[in-house]
This record gives sequence, structure tokens and C-alpha cells, in this order.
Amino acid sequence: MKIVACIKYSLTLSELKVDPATRELRLATTPQRVGTIDRNVLEAAVVLKPEGSTVHGLTLAPAGAREAFREAIAMGLDDLTIVDSTNWAAGGPMATAAVLAAAIQKMGDVDLVVCGEASDDGVTYQVPPRLAERLGWPLLAYARNIALAGATLTADRDLDIGMQSVACDLPLVLTVTQETNTPRRPTLMDAVKAKKKPVVVWQPEADLGLSAEALQAAGGVTRIAQEGIVIARKEQLFQGDDMKALANQLLDALLAEHVVAE
Amino acid sequence: MSARTLTLDDLLGLDRYEIDEEQSHIQVDQSRCQRCQLQPCLTVCPAAVYVVTEGEVTARYENCLECGTCQIACDSGGAGGITWRPPRGGFGIAFRYG
Amino acid sequence: MEKFDAIVVGAGPAGATAAYLLAKAGMQVIVIERGETPGSKNVSGALLFSQVYSEIFPKFWESAPLERAIVGHAITFLGEQTSVNLDYRDLDEGHVPHNAYSVLRARFDPWMAQQAEDAGAMLMPGFTVDKLLQENGRVVGIEAGGDALMADVVVVAEGTRSGLLKEAGLRTDEYHASDVSIGVKDVIALPEDVITNRFQCLNADEGVAYTCVGHTGGVEGGGFLYTNKDTLSVGVVAKIDAVYKSKLQPHAILNEFKAHPFISRLIAGGEIVEYSAQAIHRGGVHLIGQLYGDGYVVVGSAARLLLNNVMTLRGMDVAVASAAAAAKAILAAREMGDYSHTALAGYEQNFKATNVYKDMVTFKDTYPLLENERLFHVYPELAGAVLGDMFTVGAKPSKKGLKALRDDMRGKVSLWQMLMDMNQIGKGLVR
Repeated sequence: MKIVACIKYSLTLSELKVDPATRELRLATTPQRVGTIDRNVLEAAVVLKPEGSTVHGLTLAPAGAREAFREAIAMGLDDLTIVDSTNWAAGGPMATAAVLAAAIQKMGDVDLVVCGEASDDGVTYQVPPRLAERLGWPLLAYARNIALAGATLTADRDLDIGMQSVACDLPLVLTVTQETNTPRRPTLMDAVKAKKKPVVVWQPEADLGLSAEALQAAGGVTRIAQEGIVIARKEQLFQGDDMKALANQLLDALLAEHVVAE
Repeated sequence: MSARTLTLDDLLGLDRYEIDEEQSHIQVDQSRCQRCQLQPCLTVCPAAVYVVTEGEVTARYENCLECGTCQIACDSGGAGGITWRPPRGGFGIAFRYG
Repeated sequence: MEKFDAIVVGAGPAGATAAYLLAKAGMQVIVIERGETPGSKNVSGALLFSQVYSEIFPKFWESAPLERAIVGHAITFLGEQTSVNLDYRDLDEGHVPHNAYSVLRARFDPWMAQQAEDAGAMLMPGFTVDKLLQENGRVVGIEAGGDALMADVVVVAEGTRSGLLKEAGLRTDEYHASDVSIGVKDVIALPEDVITNRFQCLNADEGVAYTCVGHTGGVEGGGFLYTNKDTLSVGVVAKIDAVYKSKLQPHAILNEFKAHPFISRLIAGGEIVEYSAQAIHRGGVHLIGQLYGDGYVVVGSAARLLLNNVMTLRGMDVAVASAAAAAKAILAAREMGDYSHTALAGYEQNFKATNVYKDMVTFKDTYPLLENERLFHVYPELAGAVLGDMFTVGAKPSKKGLKALRDDMRGKVSLWQMLMDMNQIGKGLVR
């Protein structure tokens, strides 16, 4: 059996800064890493892997970022394929799904694709369903308690209204949440072994036949507006020894700001 | 001129940490701390990791800048109650500038 | 079980240099670093002196992430409301490399580790080495997170906090608080052109370094201010025992230093973007730690190799020099197929042949200066007072320098004491 784990080289949101003057997000200086949800993806793929099967990592990322995937490989991948996004103009979940689908088809004989429910940074929830649609496979989203018996996968779907137990024949696209499992921490030995695992780089056009125009036609999002939130602190300081007077001053200030109502 | 002097908590808030939720890398032996006169750890730690709460020296290890000062101060000026080890790999302070 | 020719613990300047040289000579080397990336745990001022680096990494200045070339060094004495500044500038724009560069370790150290990787070393960030493995009294490998790795030789390059040797029962020399300082630092962001103009630099490639004495909360120590590309590194270094006796917390000492009008003007308008700290061994030729044993060598700050001559505090280039000396000894030991302490003893001889070691000998008498509290409490104030008297045209009659000096010394330091101190300074720095 061949399992593909789709992982994303994501912005580290805790490091994302907003330019206070323009409210622009300082994306260029925000460090990137494999997303936290992707650790759950890798854990699920590695745990599911039956005897004699292989787990392949797949990502759309700049080829220069390969070092960032060391830990992901050490979690138990047999190899990693990076579709190089260095000269990547198109953006958005539709184009990403088109690339991933083309890569999975090129890999051939894939039985199961595991994705995170949504990426750390984009958080659109769109790539897995669009990928399933392109592959023509069923989507089994928000899975917990996943088990594989032969060519049938069973899982509980974690829905807002409750749990839904389902069984589905392979091939299919599976999405996991942060609650699905507890990702392992690779050991030093895992990391040493991972150094010998192959990392393949594919170019969208040369290797997958996807030109920029084709991706545009796939229905890419052409314009994204995003503005950061800037909180201007007033830093009002009430000082003195009379606690009652201070409390009254604070209350007046809160009333004036409509933080509390009369 | 800066608008105001940042407090130590403000300063530590600027730094990036990967906090190890499962275990502390600092152990404090209360029996030694109880007989420590000078308690140098309370002064020398640049992140004020060590505080006295209800008569006991406790370590707010998640703020640790991993400079190693506490161990040296404790061993030679205190009662040797602190055992500082590096956090598990990948955890703890992660300087952006350094 | 995995076996390597050499295991290097720590990917700082010392570890990366050792790994680079050993891998380049064809050894199978693994570097284990506890930070998620090299440099992410490392803090220095930081000034990088070029000479030793250029011997190991030719033309490093062309590709390494350096901040600014240090074309000016200043020594500044800070009195309560005065400053006396001795400002040296090398205005020859043509020559490279410059004597020193400012660097930020989280950006610079990955470059060094990359050199080692490019030479064939395997870099393993994100793993803490828990202990050294021994067999019959010799070090044969390491253990990290329960996994054992074996090697012919282990290079201990874990920095000032080095604890592996002690836990293995191999280190007998203990740290003492009076031999170690605490350094705390703010990295302060300012626009590149503001820094260039404020520090009278020609362009964004030029920078300056201030070493300051005085106004550190009455604690024996010093301050520093270095210019980076679009940040300033501003910090204080104070002896640990002096800090706990003063009951002043390190960040409070730093705040007092930054509040001095000379410093506050230089950092005005800046935004603090990081706060960091580091214990710094005072180093010096008398306090060099254990360098080698059966199956291991100790390099850089882990072996307490630092050089402090009051004007500059050198750690990184000393680390590189020691690692190069150790690597040379390891390669010789490899030829003999013997990694015992006798085979590795060449490390000490190699190190003693370096200019770094010779500098350590040259400045061996500088260390008593660091103990002289008048250097921190009396003379910075006095320097400002005397020059103040000489420059000021006031209601009282003017004085010549010597008269001003005698008047300002009164009650603070005796003439005899000052002559003794001058002699100490002379012995430490001049003669």
C-alpha cells in the first residue's frame, strides 16, 4: 500500500508582525516551518501504515526550504517529494489542489492521501476537498479513531453535532485534526536515518506539465486583501494612595470608553 | 526616546520560546534553599525565574534564557539547591537575533 | 549501533569549526545541537574579529551574514552626568577584511554550521546530548533522548554552560562566581540610515563599537553598544558575585546603563526587539580549563577559553582557534589510530602555538584590573569632573589640569592609590 502525507511549509503565525502604520502583514520576514497540524498528518499516516507499505511526503514549497522538512521525514516518511514553488506566481487553494493532484497521479498507485483539516496559516479548509474532487475520490474529513482493515478504512468523524462513524473503501482523501492523535517526537536515531531518505524535487511545469496559465485556468484566487489588526494601547495610569478614588477614576475611564455600561 | 521603560515581563514577552509543557529543566531542592542565607538566584537571574512563593523557592522555568548564571551563583554563593540542565532538544528559548 | 568517526556536541563557532575541519579531512562527523537551529541558543555582544576566521574560512566576509564592519572602537567613561570618550577610527576604506564585524549569533551561527555541512558533516539540530558514554574510563560516545551514538572521539563544544564533563566525573575544575560574569543585552531596532548617520558612518556597511565603564548601578562591570545593520546591541556585563551582593537584578543594571544621557541619546527612538542573557567566563591564561582526555577534547567556552583585556572581550575567535588546534590534533591521532589522552595532547601544544594563546599570555596581567573597583566607581566620574573643570568657564577662577585633578580627587582616591592604579593599568595594558 502507498500512503501520501500532504504537508505544508507554513508561516509561523506567532511570529507574524503587523506594520503599525500601513497595517500590512510583514509576510516576507515571518519565518516558515512545517505546520503544527502537519505533525498530526504525519503521525496518522505513519501509524496507519500496514506492514510492507510505504509513506511518502508531498509538499508544495521552495526547493531551498528542504532542510525545514528534516523532522517531518524523521517522523517516519520513506521519502519526500517537493514540488518547487520558487517561481510560483499562482496562489490559493484551487491551484494548490491542482498541483497536489497532479503530483499524486504522477506518483501512481496511491491508496490513501492524508491531509490536515486546514493549514496553519491559510486556514481555508479547501485544499483537501478540492484535491479529493480532482482525484475523483471520496473525502473523509475530521477523522479520529482511524483504523485500516484491508482496503477499507473506518473512522469517527468529529463533527460539531457529534461523532459520525463511517467506513469507506480506498482510495480516499483523509483529513485529521489536532485532536486526532499525539504526534511523536523523532529520536536522534530517527533523525540520523532520515538523513539517508531521498528528497525529490519536481518542477510544476517540467515534471507535472502545469504551466502558470494552466494553474490560472484551474481557478486560482487572483487577489487577496489582508489587513492586520493594530491595537493602540492608551496606557492610562492611575496613581495614588486612595484606593476608592482610584477605583472611581478607573470606572469613569471605562464608562467613557463604553467598555462597561451604566 | 522610548515611550516608557519596559518591565522585565515586557522584555521576556518579546522573546520566542518553545515551552516544554511536560517537564521543567530546572529542579530546586527546597531543603537546601531553606538554609540558604544569601539566595543569590533571586537576584542574578536575568529573567527572574526564581521567586519565593509561600516560603519556597520556585522556578518559573518557562521564562529561562538559558544563560547558566543561576547554577554558578547557587553553587558558589548559595546552598547548591539548583540543578539546571539544558531543556529537551528543540525546547526553551529560541533567539531570533542572539 | 551507529558509529561515527567524531561526534561534535554543539554547533556554535567552536563546534562548527571542528566539524568543518574534520569533515573536510574525510572524517565521518555528526554535530548535535540542542537548539532548533544553530545559533538559536547563542548570545554574544557580538564582535567577530576577522584574523582567525579568515585563516580557517578564507573570504568569509563575502558570504557570511555580517552586520557592519567595525571601523570605530570607542572607550567611554560614564560619570553621573558626564561622558569622556576615547574614539578610535580606522578611516582607510579600502582594505578587507576589516579588523572586526558586528554579528547577530542567531543569523551568523547557521552560516558556520552550513560550512561544516557543506564539507560533509551531518548536522542534527534539536537534540540535547544528555551524557557522555564511557568504557574503561574513556569516552566512547554520547547519549541523547535514550539513543546512543558511538565515535572514536567526542568534541565537547557545548559552551559556557558545559555540564557533560562534570556529570561524567571528568571535570574537576569548578566554576566560581567571581570568575564568571552575567551579560544581558537588548537588541534595539532603528532604521538603517538613522544608525549610519547617528554614528557618523559612511554607509550601512560601516559601524562602531563602544566599550563603556561606569554607570552600571555601582556594580563592577561594563557596558557596550555595537551597531548592527538596522539594530543596536546594547548590554552590560557584570561579575556574578558583584550582582548578587548588590541586590540589583541584571535587567535593572542594564536599564541604569541605558538611562545614562550619553547612551539614551544613542538609542533614542529605538524599539527593543529582543532581550537576551549569557554567562561569560572571564577566561584568561590562568583559568584555562581541561582541554582533552581519553577519547575527547574540549573546545571554545566549554574549556573556558576567552580573552578579556577590558577593551575587547573575545570569545568567538578564541573558540575557532581552539577548535582548529583540536582538529589538527584529532587528525594526527587518527593517523596513529590512537585517541588516548597522550595521542590528543597535541591539542594543547597546537593551541599554545596560536596567536590567540600568545595574546592570552600578553594580557595575563589585565585581569587584576577587572577586580579594581575604583576603575568602575571613581575614575569614570573623575575623568568627567577634571575635563569639566578645564572646559568650563564659570564664576570661579579656571584651573590647570593637575590642579583640577587634585581638587576632584579629594575624598575619593589618594594620590598614592591613584599612582598604584596607574601602575596596574600600565602593567595590564601598556607595558
